[in-house]
Amino acid sequence: MFSQPTTLEEALDVRARCGPDLLPIAGGTDIVVAMNRGQLRPAGFLDLTHVRGLDAVRHENGRYECGGAATHATLSRLPVEALAEAALSVGGPAIRNRGTIGGNLVTASPAGDGCVALLALDADVELAHASRGRRVVPLREYFLGYRKTALLADELITRVRFPKDWITAWYKIGKRGSVNISVVCCAIGRSPTGLFHIALGSVAATPIRAPHAEEIVNRDGLTDGAIAEAADAVRRDISPIDDHRASAKYRAAMSVTLVARLLRRIRDRVKEPAR
Amino acid sequence: MTPEADEMVAVELAINGKPTHLVVRPDETLLFVLRDSIGLTGTKGACLEGECGSCTLLLNGAPVNSCLVLAAQVHGGRVETIEGLAHGDKLHVLQRKFIESGAAQCGYCTPGLIMAAKALLDETPNPDEETFFRGMEGNICRCTGYTSICEAIRGAAREWSR
Repeated sequence: MFSQPTTLEEALDVRARCGPDLLPIAGGTDIVVAMNRGQLRPAGFLDLTHVRGLDAVRHENGRYECGGAATHATLSRLPVEALAEAALSVGGPAIRNRGTIGGNLVTASPAGDGCVALLALDADVELAHASRGRRVVPLREYFLGYRKTALLADELITRVRFPKDWITAWYKIGKRGSVNISVVCCAIGRSPTGLFHIALGSVAATPIRAPHAEEIVNRDGLTDGAIAEAADAVRRDISPIDDHRASAKYRAAMSVTLVARLLRRIRDRVKEPAR
Repeated sequence: MTPEADEMVAVELAINGKPTHLVVRPDETLLFVLRDSIGLTGTKGACLEGECGSCTLLLNGAPVNSCLVLAAQVHGGRVETIEGLAHGDKLHVLQRKFIESGAAQCGYCTPGLIMAAKALLDETPNPDEETFFRGMEGNICRCTGYTSICEAIRGAAREWSR
């Protein structure tokens, strides 16, 4: 069975009727990899690549609203530094042209670069059902456990919303310069009210926010002391493991380094005169 | 409704400009349909994970890993493969430069490299270092002929932008 709707209404209707029997697919950069490895044999597909408008990005009221099928290539061209750099750090052009932000959120890999950038932007994700309608979930509440999310088997990710003009920073440590899976990645967003949103990838079962680190800089600002203290506090926010890419010890040390580095980078940005 | 993986899907697409009608299984990739059903074996499969780039072709003008695209998804699309580059005996400038620079050793990565390079130069005829690197990342050569590969693409870029 292969369903290829061209409207969102139709896609939601098929999703509600067929649920897990039809695997929603967009770029296929996770799903078809698993199929080629013999790890996944879907009974059928709900192809989202022909749904009109689902790949679009719009902006209104100081926020971007991107469709679930917006590609990494599209996101890499947005003037939102952390998200654009995260998107550009995924695969090569051929992967970025296919892989989508919705797919990144559904796969919910701890190393999902787009997820980490969106957490630092305090993004909202819109989950839609044909008859129950749409619900908006803050991304920080969306990741429930290792590759477990708030998305139900009869829903689709329709939109992701995030602010347009926050000061953000991004850094990814990997094994090489390109087509690179994170060993540790970090994104930080500073809201216009001066609140910090610190997110990390590959250091826990899901992409995470770092509330202990955030608390310190939200309270004390970006003094040298507060930056050092916040960076050290991130050790309490993470729960890294040893795997073939890196040791838990290395990941913890790099989390500290990246939080300090990106907070300093944001401090430099805040000092710059407004453009 | 009982979904069955062996239900066939009708797909209309253009392959190298030629309107083509296909009937595919929902789980067949574009790579294998091109190679096994159509006989266009220029596009190579290697890692089948989107890591190596040898299966790169252009879908609606943009490079994609054909090992990760389901053929049924390409309905209504425009596919360009390595077989579509030459006009009769007249080679495409990228093909000519790859030969002149000795940029193919075993040749397995070459079709993917050439299609990725075509996408790059179609968009940016005279790419700077950063754009060149970003455009070509994701295509690897295990004979490590990168110096001659870069020379070939730069040579093509010089003719392209003239």
